[in-house]
Amino acid sequence: MNLLNRYLQAVARLLPKARRDDIIAELRANILSQMEDREQELGRPLTEDEQAEILRHHGNPTVIAGRYREGNLGLAFGVQLIGPELFPFYKNILLLNLSLTLLILFPVSLIGRAVFPGVAIPLLAQVSIITLIFTLLDRYKGAVLDKWDPRKLPALKAAVEEGPTARNIFEFIATAVGTVWLALTPWWPYLMLGPGALWIPSLGLKFWPQWPFFYGAIVAVLCADVILRFFSLFRWLPRRRFRVVDLALRGVGILIGVLLYLEGPNYVTSSNAAFADWANSTFRVCIAVAIAIHLWRAGWLLFSLLRERHQMLPARQY
Amino acid sequence: MANESAFENLKLELRRGCLVLAVLAQLRQEHYGYTLRKALTDDGLEIEESTLYPLLRRLETQGLLTSEWREEDKRNKRFYRLSKDGKVILKQLLEEWRSMGESLDRILQEVKV
Repeated sequence: MNLLNRYLQAVARLLPKARRDDIIAELRANILSQMEDREQELGRPLTEDEQAEILRHHGNPTVIAGRYREGNLGLAFGVQLIGPELFPFYKNILLLNLSLTLLILFPVSLIGRAVFPGVAIPLLAQVSIITLIFTLLDRYKGAVLDKWDPRKLPALKAAVEEGPTARNIFEFIATAVGTVWLALTPWWPYLMLGPGALWIPSLGLKFWPQWPFFYGAIVAVLCADVILRFFSLFRWLPRRRFRVVDLALRGVGILIGVLLYLEGPNYVTSSNAAFADWANSTFRVCIAVAIAIHLWRAGWLLFSLLRERHQMLPARQY
Repeated sequence: MANESAFENLKLELRRGCLVLAVLAQLRQEHYGYTLRKALTDDGLEIEESTLYPLLRRLETQGLLTSEWREEDKRNKRFYRLSKDGKVILKQLLEEWRSMGESLDRILQEVKV
């Protein structure tokens, strides 16, 4: 299926990002069904040449992607000059050229106080030249677009899904460092308070009796998160399952946070009442922020899971 | 050469409307892209994949079709079906089609090709 993957990769490259996965999943299902039907007719697996023939008949990736674009517009003055397959590229190139021209020439022409010939003539010239080029391309597109060979499509890019990405590595390291830091803090308060840790004995701090239970639960959830991030480094969990576990961990995190918040505000007592007030109120704000972050992340995970379920999109495979 | 090109363009225009009608009519019964194309071909209406699959998306955007992803034969497929609005439009288009057909039949009886 290497050829099919290369074909879908070429189509995907030209599709709008918002609808890309959905369109590619549908194309994949349709083409695979067609290939299976052909295999049943022949009573054997397809050769690479036969696969290539099916893909070639399916259409040039540029044409296919052009037809999926919204609006399916073209340019016509009585007769059609630029068809819907090339129109999106025409529009993008024209916009890019005109923007660059305006950006460079407009300030210059303002200084010279010659806006009309200074800017308008180059703009008109560009519109005319680009339109002419695309009209000719559209007229002779059959000769160009029909002569393509699926076997000459670019090789598959290293699949992002197969190995660790920069984001995955960062998330794993950040979670692991954060967890180790929090787990070591009771033994080395210096890690959290810096030189201020030297003052702790003189403050006579006493933690709330349930604190060890909550602290242990937080560290346990963070450890589970580190393990999950480690699994995600090497894609040992399918994307959907990863999100479900991630969502469950966020749920547990939110529950701990809410219980902790409700149990407040007297998390510590101290011989210095002002310090105890400051520490308790700061800690409560930190809990509220942590709950908000977890809620936002859980909401996003839930939304993406529901959307995937509705569309039943397979994991990205190209 | 010019005649051939003109013929191709006119044929394309003639087919365009017919294809929409045929697709809507065929989707009174649920299909996914590939089986729909096969069903149309079996009924004598050849249509390219590159035309049909984007057309389905457009008709869905217009509210004439509904679709859902479902697993069949261990593969997720997007199944299309005529929507409530699509049924109304199909009925109107069929009336229009029949009326045009009758008119054309009358006109063509007088033409000797």
